[in-house]
Amino acid sequence: MSKHLVSLTTNPCKMCMPMGVITAFYGIHKCMSILHGSQGCSTYIRRHMATHYNEPVDIASSSLTEHGTVYGGEKNLITGIENLITLYQPEVIGVATTCLAETIGEDISRIIHNFYESHPESHVKLIPVPSGGYMGTQYEGFFRALYGIVSNVEMNKEPSGKINIITGPMTPADTRYLKAVLEQMEIDYILLPDLSQNLDSGHYDTYNRLPEGGTPLEEIAKMAGAKATIELTTFIEDGYSPGKYLFERYGVPYLRLNLPIGLRDIDDFLKNLSELSQKPIPRTVKEERARYLDAMIDSHKYNAEGRAVIYGEPDFVYAVTRLCSENGIMPVVTAVGTKCKTLGKMLRSDIEDVAGRVFVKDYITLDEADFEQIETYALKYKANMMIGSSDGRRIEEKHGINLIRCAFPVHDRIGGQRLRMLGYEGSLSLLDTLTNTLLKVKEGGFRKELYDKYYTPNIGEPSPESLELTLEDKKKTHPCFSCSGAHKYARIHLPIAPKCNISCNYCVRKFDCPNESRPGVTTQVLEPKEALERYIQVKKDVPNLTVVGIAGPGDALANFDKTEETLELIKAYDKNVTFCLSTNGLMLPMYASELVELGVSHVTITINAVDPKIGAKVYKEVRYLGTTYTGIEAATILLANQLSGLKYLAERGLVCKVNIVTLKGINDEHIEEVVKKVKGLGASITNIMQMIPVEGSVFENIPLVSHKEITALREKCGVHLEQMYHCKQCRADAIGMLDKDISMHYSVPEKKKEEEESKEEKGPIRFAISSKSGMLIDEHFGHAKSFYIYEYKNGEPVYIENRNVDKYCSGSEACDEEQDKIEKLMRTIQDCQGVLTLRIGNAPEKKLLDKGIKVFKTYDRIEKAVREAASKL
Amino acid sequence: MKGENQSNVLLKEREDFIYCKDGCKTDTFRCDSESVSGAVSQRACVYCGARVVLNPITDAFHIVHGPIGCASYTWDIRGSLTSGEELYRNSFSTDLMEQDVIFGGEKKLAAAIDEVANVYAPKVIFVYATCIVGVIGDDVKAVCKAAENKHGVRAIPVMSPGFAGHKSVGYKMACNAIMELIGPQKRDKTQGINILGDFNLAGEMWIIKDYLKQIGIDVVAQITGDASCEQLQKASGAMLNIVQCAGSMTYLAKRMEEEMEIPYVKVSFFGIEDTTSSLIRIAEALGDEEAVRKAKALCKNEKDKLQDFLNKYRKNLEGKKAAIYVGGGFKAISLIKQFNEIGIETVVVGTQTGKKDDYEIIKQLVNPGTVVLDDANPAELETFMKEKHADILVGGVKERPLAYKLGIAFCDHNHERKHPLAGFIGVINFIKEINLSMNSPVWDYIRRGAYEQTFS
Repeated sequence: MSKHLVSLTTNPCKMCMPMGVITAFYGIHKCMSILHGSQGCSTYIRRHMATHYNEPVDIASSSLTEHGTVYGGEKNLITGIENLITLYQPEVIGVATTCLAETIGEDISRIIHNFYESHPESHVKLIPVPSGGYMGTQYEGFFRALYGIVSNVEMNKEPSGKINIITGPMTPADTRYLKAVLEQMEIDYILLPDLSQNLDSGHYDTYNRLPEGGTPLEEIAKMAGAKATIELTTFIEDGYSPGKYLFERYGVPYLRLNLPIGLRDIDDFLKNLSELSQKPIPRTVKEERARYLDAMIDSHKYNAEGRAVIYGEPDFVYAVTRLCSENGIMPVVTAVGTKCKTLGKMLRSDIEDVAGRVFVKDYITLDEADFEQIETYALKYKANMMIGSSDGRRIEEKHGINLIRCAFPVHDRIGGQRLRMLGYEGSLSLLDTLTNTLLKVKEGGFRKELYDKYYTPNIGEPSPESLELTLEDKKKTHPCFSCSGAHKYARIHLPIAPKCNISCNYCVRKFDCPNESRPGVTTQVLEPKEALERYIQVKKDVPNLTVVGIAGPGDALANFDKTEETLELIKAYDKNVTFCLSTNGLMLPMYASELVELGVSHVTITINAVDPKIGAKVYKEVRYLGTTYTGIEAATILLANQLSGLKYLAERGLVCKVNIVTLKGINDEHIEEVVKKVKGLGASITNIMQMIPVEGSVFENIPLVSHKEITALREKCGVHLEQMYHCKQCRADAIGMLDKDISMHYSVPEKKKEEEESKEEKGPIRFAISSKSGMLIDEHFGHAKSFYIYEYKNGEPVYIENRNVDKYCSGSEACDEEQDKIEKLMRTIQDCQGVLTLRIGNAPEKKLLDKGIKVFKTYDRIEKAVREAASKL
Repeated sequence: MKGENQSNVLLKEREDFIYCKDGCKTDTFRCDSESVSGAVSQRACVYCGARVVLNPITDAFHIVHGPIGCASYTWDIRGSLTSGEELYRNSFSTDLMEQDVIFGGEKKLAAAIDEVANVYAPKVIFVYATCIVGVIGDDVKAVCKAAENKHGVRAIPVMSPGFAGHKSVGYKMACNAIMELIGPQKRDKTQGINILGDFNLAGEMWIIKDYLKQIGIDVVAQITGDASCEQLQKASGAMLNIVQCAGSMTYLAKRMEEEMEIPYVKVSFFGIEDTTSSLIRIAEALGDEEAVRKAKALCKNEKDKLQDFLNKYRKNLEGKKAAIYVGGGFKAISLIKQFNEIGIETVVVGTQTGKKDDYEIIKQLVNPGTVVLDDANPAELETFMKEKHADILVGGVKERPLAYKLGIAFCDHNHERKHPLAGFIGVINFIKEINLSMNSPVWDYIRRGAYEQTFS
């Protein structure tokens, strides 16, 4: 059972002694605690307890400083006690030491004595508990506090007929249960401690910062006269056993019992209680027992598959292990962080018993364990559940072993204070949780498990992972090709293709190609790698992104190398993406087969005419294989390539759209012809578009086609072929859904208009700003070690630099003198016209004014203040 | 359950630390002093400060030299996220026992470092000296030095005894440790900046980096959210440092400016205004006009997107009253402003470690009647939150149960939060959290009163 690291504790399964001391004191009526040590200890413990119990936890600290550490902290502690009394008016104060106080040798009993001497009027009971963090864990600390309480309270030996019940750490809800049983049996008892109220109080109209529940000292005083003591703890150290103390000092007989958790130990507790008190066990309790038995049967088969890791404080681990073992859950790892040599021996018979029944060979019991060991063995012995505090959550997260959170501290769930496991009902509730945890795994995973184990796919049939989307699927998710898709799916146009190989009369190459793009828009061209980056970026922000399109700004196929590289890169990143491309079709015969191989599923070809005579009016020139063609010749080559390309692609199942730009007086009468022709070649949709005039183009001044006319054209052609009605004539770098372009968000903003830049004629105004936070003007001028320098130019505040005052030291003088300091500040900012500061002394302000630097006192945001100051200068 | 005799009981020594705008006997106000013993301060210790700053370095080993408590209570304490190693989510301790305290813990520490070096071959080990280490005479620096020579790993001592001041001393110790790690060697300048003082709580470092990427600025080192050792060692090559958590990292920025000639600017990514001016300023500081343009466009776009959201939520929030109790002064100021912007008035405001200037601004920002507190304790928070009828408390988890007991909503602005509060998305999260706590139906039932009123 060697630890991975011998000299190191990795992820502790224990806390320090003061934690336990504080917890125990929470079970005393009108009691507060103070920790003698540095401030952090009480803050940490408060945070730990407050988030578990969901109750305010106020713990004072003597706030030892360096001085106190060297010269002794008596003064700090006494002041601390005085202040605690003023603030809370407690009747009892637990005074606990920390590592630091113990190490510097603070004698708190003596300090308390001195306090009583100097405060004769005080009736507060001060109870010292030496509890250096290295002296033991919170478990030992808990009992040391109880021992300290019992041995410090003045006892009343008069027989009271009561039964003392002393408990180890347990939840407030369990404590309430215990009290309920005692009350039901009409037993006169003294409970030490009683956490039921103080660490789980209700909501009332008024809040009391001093805990009002808990056992009063007057009651504790009567413990010496009790009939008997029952100590509900298995591993208490004899030297700190209040029961043993009461027995040795006052002759009160005592009995040590296990925590009443699990059938055997609850039976044992009730039997003893009934015998001692001569009171019968109530019928309702017997019924609860019967129900617990019934539940054990109901869940036994599921429990047999349990392989549990149980960790925490010794009493908890012992009790839960016994509950597991009687239910057939195999405790493969039982671990306590505390030093507890007897744990293994005590648990052996229980664990061996289950191990024999379910044939488990390997299991381990650890003391002084840390979570590294627990993790190692949990994996090694194939645990399928963990039972303990929230501290196992990292193992749960990492290895998927479910954690049942039922011990202190529970930080990542609610209700730590209400956890139940005591008595038949409590045990039953824990048992149900354990079983249900096993069932959750079983029920949630058996379908997949059995499928994976037994199902063999037929040979040749692709496994589900390798299934790619079909063309039909892809069409549905393409916003341009499916109207329903238009509202659900987004596309990105990657502007990687700058060149074009034809000149259309409605186009000016200064701008993007207006075939697919909004005219007059210039797009920044991306390299293929940048295009991939943008895709990844956008995909992250826009999960419904399904389509990648190449639409210019020139022609996709005139830049085939770029297009190919881009598509390859994206395909390697995301194989389910739908590729779409638009082209004038000139190079289609050359690249059509490559497009098919690349996985392009949608192609848009702009075909404005199927008659070369009309085409000749539309196209100025066509540059094909090194030669520039014009007129009918150009139009003929282009048309032939367009049509043969379209046919080739359509035959191979690609979805082909044909764009037709409506040019009034040129092809508007011819469009129906185009539609019919391309239908014959396999186009599945046509998009009849408006021509938007571009300044400087040949067609700049031809009359526009109205929307109405376009709609009429579409309706007319709809008889032959499906029409696209929702086209938005997107930019070459469009991103998002058709009706929501977000490309500006990703691209470089357009340059400011020249006129805006020349708006401001004044030269820049320079300001020095004293700011500590860098956001606000929140520093005194004289305190500034550096100045933010801002300029106000073109109507905007602009950050220039940060000037370190020391760098402006002239060197010859002694810079630390007050007079020179001001000089230094002045030198730092002498080129400024204004100073913005929180405050400034009269003398420096005057000096600044003498130099012509104006001072503005403000606590505003820097940018806002610069604007305002500039308007006043 | 009565407590009338204890309400409004405040400590004499604490009177100077409490100020009520336009309602005070005097105008004196104390802050930046030692905590009053027994006053139940909310402050933590030096070790805590050092640990929280260094802990987010994902591939570092954190060995706490001392008894177990310190390691136990700070194990995985921050919600700092990682994109790489998970090592930092462990808490290692020499777990000193009584014997070690008597005979010294140096040998145990040396053995611990040996083991770590042999088993894990780590890149860097931080060794924290806690309260008692100095007192029992362990020379942590010497042990670390020897280990470095022996194993050729970085073993960096972090001198952080709890009593040696409060958290901010710990921040400084952590900064010194980071400087040790970065080392004095000169590096060629790379195009890019370091981010100081963001700890990647709920992924905030990632959000900030993403904004920077969008405006074309590269990040060299993240100090310390989602940082790796290798990345930190490149920090000296950056063009600029930006400082987000000024309280913890200004010291480091200054040292880097002096020793590595890297200028720095302070920034803040809490709230729309801060995020906007920060992004623009970073671009301006780099003299990158392209980035300035992109930053302006980005911020405008994000701000525009938030308008509908803010208008919608304002209806639910206007006219409510807030109490603020946070660590540093700037955070308090920033919260007051954020509350003002959505129509919530701040009626109680306090900080653990605010400075004089911070309080001066706070006093200016709040309305008459507002209570200002330094290093407040639960009794004071209780008294003034009740007196001023706060609807919500913004603070750390220790204060949460108190707020709830008083029937007051709560917003966690501490390092255990699980959703980002930085950047534009942070504005949404913050306002949503405020709304869902403050406008929960449970308060209506709480206000109906307890059993007695209901059934009488």
